[in-house]
Amino acid sequence: MNMEGMLKTGTVLTAQSGSAYRVCAYLGAGTQGEVYEVECGGKHSAVKWYFPQMATRTQREILENLLMKGSPNESFLWPEDLITGGPGGGLGYVMPLRPKEFRGIVDLMKRRAEPSFAMLCRIAFNLTKGYGMLHAKGLSYRDISFGNVSFNPATGAVLIGDNDNVSASGRDDAAVYGTPRFMAPEIVTGREKPSRNTDLYSLAVLLFYMFMLGHPLEGKLEADIRCMDIHALNRLFGTHPVFIFDPNDTSNRPVEGYQDNVLIFWELYPQSLRDLFIQSFTVGLTAPNKRVTEKQWLYEIANMMSCLITCPRCGAEVFFDAEKAARGETHVCWSCRRAVPYPPSLICGGDRALLPLGAKLYSHHLTGNYDMDTVAGEVVANPSDPRLLGIRNLTGDNWTYIRADGRQIPVAPGRSAAIAKDAKINFGARTGEFR
Amino acid sequence: MTELKRPGGELASRPLHFFWLVDCSGSMNEEHGEKIGTLNHAIQSTIPDMAAAARENPNAQLLVRTLKFATGASWVTPAPVPIEDFAWDDLTAGGVTDMGKAFEMVAAQLTIPPMSERALPPVLVLISDGGPTDDYRRGLETLLRLPWAKKAVRIAVSIGRDANDDVLAEFTGNRELVLQANNPQALVRCIKWASTAASAVSAPASKPKLAAPASGSTNAPLVLDMKSIPEPAGDVDAADVW
Repeated sequence: MNMEGMLKTGTVLTAQSGSAYRVCAYLGAGTQGEVYEVECGGKHSAVKWYFPQMATRTQREILENLLMKGSPNESFLWPEDLITGGPGGGLGYVMPLRPKEFRGIVDLMKRRAEPSFAMLCRIAFNLTKGYGMLHAKGLSYRDISFGNVSFNPATGAVLIGDNDNVSASGRDDAAVYGTPRFMAPEIVTGREKPSRNTDLYSLAVLLFYMFMLGHPLEGKLEADIRCMDIHALNRLFGTHPVFIFDPNDTSNRPVEGYQDNVLIFWELYPQSLRDLFIQSFTVGLTAPNKRVTEKQWLYEIANMMSCLITCPRCGAEVFFDAEKAARGETHVCWSCRRAVPYPPSLICGGDRALLPLGAKLYSHHLTGNYDMDTVAGEVVANPSDPRLLGIRNLTGDNWTYIRADGRQIPVAPGRSAAIAKDAKINFGARTGEFR
Repeated sequence: MTELKRPGGELASRPLHFFWLVDCSGSMNEEHGEKIGTLNHAIQSTIPDMAAAARENPNAQLLVRTLKFATGASWVTPAPVPIEDFAWDDLTAGGVTDMGKAFEMVAAQLTIPPMSERALPPVLVLISDGGPTDDYRRGLETLLRLPWAKKAVRIAVSIGRDANDDVLAEFTGNRELVLQANNPQALVRCIKWASTAASAVSAPASKPKLAAPASGSTNAPLVLDMKSIPEPAGDVDAADVW
């Protein structure tokens, strides 16, 4: 069995920090190197060890820069220590091991991991947030794709790996230009080098794959291709990209029998999400600086997470669509095809949360800070009349309840305020209105 | 009430046909049968790696089959087998080297039908330790006339010093894709390297700027320069979209 790579089990690697890492097991190989499980002082980590031709001075400089900058947030398997020298004078770096419960995006694509719509939104939100934090540091990722992202199906936590190509946006120093189907058209055609804006294209592709289980440019033009070779890939994703739902160009619509998923899913999401994809894959194909930013995605996905309706008949999750509601249209369950009623909403800043019993409000709703982890409130029943619902203050701050008649009542932590039409709650940073 | 699963199916993928074309002529029995033994070992041990790579490849359904040629040629696995179900049957050696016959039989499989109209480029891995004893050229011409064969990634593994590298290069169309296996370790490496063509073809992995050399001298997975595989020009019906 070829289970041995460049490093033998038991080899001790001394890192720049002085820590000694003992090689425990070979985990796998990629295009740039091999990954091993290592142990140091009882703690297990991963080491990526470069193939000799990839162990370049530039790679080492990139790693040194990443170590200095530090991880953007907890969603990254960021380099923690550098190993130079060692057997054969090689190069490698230490990073956290991916916990066993994490699954890959390929599991999502092959339906081996089956999160709910709510959890899928949470995963997409956390991923987008991670890339946003990276870009905020002036870095670009360069290879957003299936292979280097994983998620915890139970919590929605994400881990972004393969950070060793991350470098300053626009610099042509990393060893990677990206993955076919994810690379922006201007990279496929060789006009541009990876940058923050090409990352935004790849992010839109990844989100489209996650939500729609298909590719935004694979419609009739893909179905007509017999042999999907490099020339076909270059045409579809480089020289002649056409969005499958381009409102002004119907030449690449999905084909039933070949691209069924996108036909099924596209209609299930709110128009506001569809609009972001339309922007990404029409104007965004040719104008890199008009691509959808992380904040736009986060804002939209936070709303989707907060506006899911559970069909009372069949239990399917149905996305609330504010535009549909504004037109007075009925929401219909995609599964049982019956009308789905929806509860009142809290509108806070530009954000909306539906308020069924048990729904949670997050810090983001109260402040617009994109924190969808910290619970700030919960919809509870009034103990004296369970038909009356209210929002319990789960923060440490006082809120002010503003009744329809203008009377103001303090809502101390732990207290609840009734959900009533035309009433408002002043949360401090923002005021929420019930609708 | 339990939540319903999300609708829809798996991400759509295309079939990727992978062929092992193995020379089982008598010379493979030289060195007390070590050549054929090493080959059996090498391919068998690469199958789990291929299956693992396929599991993580959402764009391809990897289908494998084996053709052996010696005196005549025959399918070891007559129908394409999904990699997760594929098991290597040890080959035995004896006879001459009817490579042309092997080309004809592969050609029959790359004709539409039985070949599907939509697929990823097929991968043909030819492993040989000697020159053909039949009219290989006729078979090769039949094969290379087919659009699917032209589009195929064709790799040859040349075992020992008696292999006819000129013939193998005619098959691959590119001398760099004739891998030299002059000892058992090199054979194992070459076969391992060729097997990763399945992943390279559907291109799910990162595209490094620095490609690993095609010598199979490291453990680095195959990074094929797909642009070197020609786009059929005037000889394909212009109405076809390839």
